[in-house]
Amino acid sequence: MENRTVKKVKDPAPLVPPAKFNLWLFMLASCMLFAAFVSAYIVARPDAEAKQLWTSFDLPIYFFYSLIISILSSVTIQMATNAAKKDELARNKGLIAVTLVLSVLFCYSQYLGWSRLVMQDLTFVNARPEHISASYVWVITVLHFVHILGGIILLLIAQVKSFRLDIHKKQITFMSITNTYWHFVGLLWFILYLFLYFAR
Amino acid sequence: MSTSALHADHHTHDHHHKESFISKYVFSMDHKMISKQFLITGIIMGIVGMGMSLLFRLQLAWPDEQFGLLEMLLGKWAVDGKLDPNFYMGLVTIHGTIMVFYVLTAGLSGTFSNLLIPLQLGARDMASPFMNMLSYWFFLASSVVLLISVGVETGPASGGWTVYPPLSALEKAMPGSGLGMTLWLVAIALFIISALLGGINYISTVLNQRTKGMSMNRMPLTIWAFFFTAILGLLSFPVLLGAALFLIFDRSFGTSFYLSDIFLEGVGALENVGGSPVLYQHLFWFLGHPEVYIILMPALGITSEVISTNARKPIFGYTAMIISLMGISVLSFIVWGHHMFITGMNPFLGSVFMILTLIIAVPSAVKAFNYLTTLWRGNLRYTPAMLFSIGLVSFFISGGLTGIYLGNAAMDIQLHDSYFVVAHFHLVMGSAAIFGMFAGIYHWFPRMYGRMMNNTLGYFHFWITFITAYLVFFPMHFMGLAGVPRRYYQFTLVEDFNIWMDVNKLITVSAIVAGFAQLLFLYNFFVSIFRGKKAEQNPWQSNTLEWTSPMDVRLHGNWPHELPTVYRGPYEYSRPDRESDFFPQNEEDANAPEVLHVEEKEVVKEEAPVENSVFFAAIKRVFGLSR
Repeated sequence: MENRTVKKVKDPAPLVPPAKFNLWLFMLASCMLFAAFVSAYIVARPDAEAKQLWTSFDLPIYFFYSLIISILSSVTIQMATNAAKKDELARNKGLIAVTLVLSVLFCYSQYLGWSRLVMQDLTFVNARPEHISASYVWVITVLHFVHILGGIILLLIAQVKSFRLDIHKKQITFMSITNTYWHFVGLLWFILYLFLYFAR
Repeated sequence: MSTSALHADHHTHDHHHKESFISKYVFSMDHKMISKQFLITGIIMGIVGMGMSLLFRLQLAWPDEQFGLLEMLLGKWAVDGKLDPNFYMGLVTIHGTIMVFYVLTAGLSGTFSNLLIPLQLGARDMASPFMNMLSYWFFLASSVVLLISVGVETGPASGGWTVYPPLSALEKAMPGSGLGMTLWLVAIALFIISALLGGINYISTVLNQRTKGMSMNRMPLTIWAFFFTAILGLLSFPVLLGAALFLIFDRSFGTSFYLSDIFLEGVGALENVGGSPVLYQHLFWFLGHPEVYIILMPALGITSEVISTNARKPIFGYTAMIISLMGISVLSFIVWGHHMFITGMNPFLGSVFMILTLIIAVPSAVKAFNYLTTLWRGNLRYTPAMLFSIGLVSFFISGGLTGIYLGNAAMDIQLHDSYFVVAHFHLVMGSAAIFGMFAGIYHWFPRMYGRMMNNTLGYFHFWITFITAYLVFFPMHFMGLAGVPRRYYQFTLVEDFNIWMDVNKLITVSAIVAGFAQLLFLYNFFVSIFRGKKAEQNPWQSNTLEWTSPMDVRLHGNWPHELPTVYRGPYEYSRPDRESDFFPQNEEDANAPEVLHVEEKEVVKEEAPVENSVFFAAIKRVFGLSR
């Protein structure tokens, strides 16, 4: 066969950008991970309670502040995306920066929450045998935090791209991936917070 | 990456004229090369896994014999030629892990999903070739770590492939729970990452990158099977990751998710309290059960394709096949409790799990009957691939029937952890899936390497393997019914079990013969890569798109010109209105009545402009409403 390479042909573009589709699937997988932790919590609790090895404790208020921050940052990232869609590039740049600041605040607030837990002897490796519940809170919050870190990396890249004028009306995929992912981690924290609050 | 940049990318990445050795063979992003990498790594892991089974079979058949060879091979693990009990357990564990995860998950669905999804759907490559490449490299890293764990001082993980805590959670519990166990967990964590990267790509490609005219109801059943397999993996592997994380925390950090009231070597109780080892079983089997379908379903899909092609008949009940795959997939998530009937489970819950388990017999039977009715009065061509597919149907039936026994909570009290279980899953999951994999290799070897495998060697390989597989696994049913427990090092101290010594010898001898039969395959496979007869285009006269891509060059992008357009379903064999007995999916029907012609055109006409958001358009696309 003579033809060793692919001729320049214009293939029909996939309906959804592949990167975006892959992100949706990743979010699904990550939901399953948290579903596993949450159901482990639900299954383990009655067992531990029967042995009087389960402590109910109030979540540090900082976790609630984090929730507020994450809602605010969801609003700003959405505004940034809307701005990009309308080619308002300066506004887009600014709003990504605001979201980044909020994301750092979120991290700080989580840090304060964890410090509070440590002060109450609610450590990851149980300082007291009856604190098995604390281990679950640690696992869930820290793994959520890992997801947040991924979001911050996306935000940083988006910020760089916005300075390079790589985000505008006709190049919206990366912005919209960042947007979707940031909403996802925010929503995840909302659900996990409610769960930990009511199922403590 | 922006949309347009991304698309520009999509168009240009196919045009590298010269690839370096590294980018072509090592860090390749071409799905065809990645599939070969998966296959060969899987074969190597398979050799190791099978070799291990032969070693512990020797021990079971001749417990008092001394094999100088073993000492030469294993050193301190076989002093005086007698296998060490700890190492025996390690071999059993690693054999299970390798076969379940490395050969039949990565080796089977990694190979054929990668090869066939883009080729049969008419895509240039996977959704993300880069992620696809990562998927292979994580798999390779995982394989290497697992193999290293076999060689460490304290021996490999040895709590069985399910690594139940507390045995696996406490380093002091046995030698194998030390470094070997840590490496096992690392290997599995890497494996999960690889499986997720691959699975995301498979689903995304199937839903989003089908060629013009390839609606969901024109997809080959292989693709349907890989698609459901990938969904199962995507939903269940994260849960295993969760289970493994908890286990890592318990082992290395001192938490007590799975630990409570532990007495170790007469010392106790340990400080770890409040956890529950049964929690691990719940998490593990939530993956573990879908996992057996992750193993089996690709084999079933391959079989559908091979049987239909070689019977020269449309597959019987195309839609029923899809619905039964779907049924198996859904049910597989809600039956994990049948692995845990004797953990002190509430009997009511047990009966729910039992009924759900037994319902799986329905879609499975639909599949078995559809295979048989496809074969019925077909114009059969007994290629090696066809024989292996028929072999799969045989194992699927004979092994599946015993599943009905094991799914009964009451019978499970007697049969649990006996050789009956070993017989059951080695037939229905082990042998059936590996036969599906062989069928796939023989059938798509020309597609992979542009050459044919030797048929005669293939026939010998099939018959010896088929007969010895039954000789190995069938007698185990009777051992299990008599109460012989699995995973025991030797039975000579239990008088009742002495009568099984002869059977054990028969099994071991058969296993060794089976091992030699695989050498025929290895010879055939590796020699044919270089010396096989050159394959002609579409050697099996098959309908699907992968045979329309040029056979004699490896082309990143699959088709030298435009992507093929699809006009009909994949199984239109022996149509009475046609001279040739097959009708490729991409061939326009010149003789079709004008009305039909218009209809066909209608279906493949360009996508209507997207009015709704991308999301709704995607939903439409998923359900085949558009295109």
